[in-house]
Amino acid sequence: MLRSLLISNCFLWASWNCAAQGNYEIQVYGADTVPPKNLMVELHSNYTVSGQAKILDGVYPTNHQEHETLELTQGINDWAEIGFYVFTSEQDGHGVQWVGDHIRPRVRAPDQWHLPVGLSVSTEIGYQRAVYSPDTWTWEIRPIIDKALGRWYFAFNPALERTWHGPDVNMGLGFSPGVKVSYDFTREISGGLEYYADYGQLGAFDSLRQQQQQIFAVTDLNVSPRWEINFGVGLGPTSATDHLIVKGIIGRRFNWSRQKQAIE
Amino acid sequence: MITRRRFATLAGIAAGSSLLPHPVSAAGAADITLQIAPFTVEASPRHSFNTVAYNGQVPGPLLRMKQGQPQTVEIYNRTNDPEVFHWHGLFLPSNIDGAMEEGTPMIAPGASVRYSLTPQPAGFRWYHTHTFAGKNLTKAQYGGLHGFLLIEPLQNPAPYDREVFLALHDWGGHFLPSDDGYMNPTYDVSTINGKMLGFGEPVRVKAGERVMIHTLNSSPTEVHWIALAGHSFDVVALDGNSVPQPQTISMLRLAPAERVSAIVEMKNPGNWILGEVRKHIQAAGLGTVIEYAGAAGRPVWTQPQNLIWSYSQFAASSQRQISSDVIPTRDEVSRIELTFDSKFEGHGNEELWRINGKSYPQTDEPILKTGRRYRLIMKNLSMDDHPMHLHRHTFEIRQVDNSPEMRGLMKDVVLVPSRTTAEVEFVANNPGNTLFHCHQQDHMDRGFMMVFRYA
Repeated sequence: MLRSLLISNCFLWASWNCAAQGNYEIQVYGADTVPPKNLMVELHSNYTVSGQAKILDGVYPTNHQEHETLELTQGINDWAEIGFYVFTSEQDGHGVQWVGDHIRPRVRAPDQWHLPVGLSVSTEIGYQRAVYSPDTWTWEIRPIIDKALGRWYFAFNPALERTWHGPDVNMGLGFSPGVKVSYDFTREISGGLEYYADYGQLGAFDSLRQQQQQIFAVTDLNVSPRWEINFGVGLGPTSATDHLIVKGIIGRRFNWSRQKQAIE
Repeated sequence: MITRRRFATLAGIAAGSSLLPHPVSAAGAADITLQIAPFTVEASPRHSFNTVAYNGQVPGPLLRMKQGQPQTVEIYNRTNDPEVFHWHGLFLPSNIDGAMEEGTPMIAPGASVRYSLTPQPAGFRWYHTHTFAGKNLTKAQYGGLHGFLLIEPLQNPAPYDREVFLALHDWGGHFLPSDDGYMNPTYDVSTINGKMLGFGEPVRVKAGERVMIHTLNSSPTEVHWIALAGHSFDVVALDGNSVPQPQTISMLRLAPAERVSAIVEMKNPGNWILGEVRKHIQAAGLGTVIEYAGAAGRPVWTQPQNLIWSYSQFAASSQRQISSDVIPTRDEVSRIELTFDSKFEGHGNEELWRINGKSYPQTDEPILKTGRRYRLIMKNLSMDDHPMHLHRHTFEIRQVDNSPEMRGLMKDVVLVPSRTTAEVEFVANNPGNTLFHCHQQDHMDRGFMMVFRYA
């Protein structure tokens, strides 16, 4: 469980017209879900060291933005959970601002199916203010496939995104895959790479320089099943991508069923 | 993965096949014949498992033997895999005890073997396969190769009217990440005598009967807790050995390979559920119905709210309660310190288990002197509880789970809780290679065993 909780989802907002990038919650999902009667509380802290420096179409620049995202995920049953996000941003000249909220239900293939890989699907619906993302209402569906093989861990999130309100409302589905490969160096320390991308409209990808692509070197600290700690540094090589981001995640799982656990 | 244990298996097949040409020629019919062959367990109409069984049934046939009376047993292996047959709890020579690590030859596919044995000691024992499963959670103890073995004492006062034998088992295992981050087996279905609750024949009793219930946990990896609604258990023996202080208790805890013999007074007519105390395990099927003659209505279950068990309640409270067959006290006891831990092998894998920093077959091989008393000090540094089993001997539990020193509690399996130390004593009175191991199949397969040798 710990392992899958450590590796959650990706959230790089992208507006294909405006090249604004929302680095609020940067993770690759693992397939497992939070157990019932458990609440996962995570704080995502991301700082854009080098990003978009100008205001474009009324959207604040990402350069030197500090993002704090609160994520609450409640387990519903053995195969479903629901997540809720509160996004905030802090930046010189703009102060601390509420950015938006998302809700994210997720279901996974039950263990009884005995699939050779972990498999789940999440869908995410939310609002973000136009000064942070010109596409204010968005929807995403994210298949999640993962597999642990000895010390290696692989996760693949081929996400599809749709704008419901904003400049990209007529752009159809966008393709935003996320990939994670990591290796357990010790019982407590894992390290690896995470890749996030937004290729643009499905069937009509943007040119490479207009695509968002980011590679993070990350480490996960498995200090306790209750805690989740992740840290990473990401580079964006294309012109449409923020060039340097530092991210951190700290999470704590709360089990409300502890009193009955022995006979449950 | 091919481990050294697997290598030992293959080597054992070769040796066994040459030693035991097929078919074994022997004079006369054996007292007992067992066939190891494929079998489908139908736990319920919707839950079937293709497995291997003894004589086409799960559990295998109840074997009754008289203490000290020689027996011949012929075993045929009708499968495509080598097999070995372990007599759990008996004092037998290493070459027939049933562990290739001790030197028992494997029974090659299509071959047979005939054992001549003199069963000792009396009590509720069992038999089972002792092979390697690895990542195949249908093989070895994950399957149906287990059965009851009752060694009847020369004189049995039998303060009960009849006997019932129950085997707790788990099926449909698959590896899942556990809370501690490792891959551990979990199961789809749990059964008593191969049937899920509601699908087997009920245990039919009469009001006023005193029923001896012999319960075996044959699960490959899981501890089980059972209770009988509306009734209590008068526990008289653990692992087939009489306890110094019989106790009347509401629930039983059985680690893998443990047995509990308890008398239940049938004095509450009705239909009752005997089942797992933990709700999700009972929901997976671990239960059976106790049906009084003439009773009607749905079986009733009363849910306990706590799990209650301790070994120490059965130990002697005074020297007088230690029976004469208990190991005599001696001034000199040799201490053997054993530390259990695991070596990290990745979150997507099981741990490699170690005793004193080594995994089988690299583990130490302590040398025992015949007649000497030994104290095993088992320090469990790991996050798992371990049911530790000593072959071919009985040990006395002296301390477990921070209890005071105990006397008189004789067993062949003891559950050593996580991050605690347990101490047992035994007399080296049965020369020959002697296997000592965790009875969790996945732990054995990952190196959690060692062999004691006699000088």
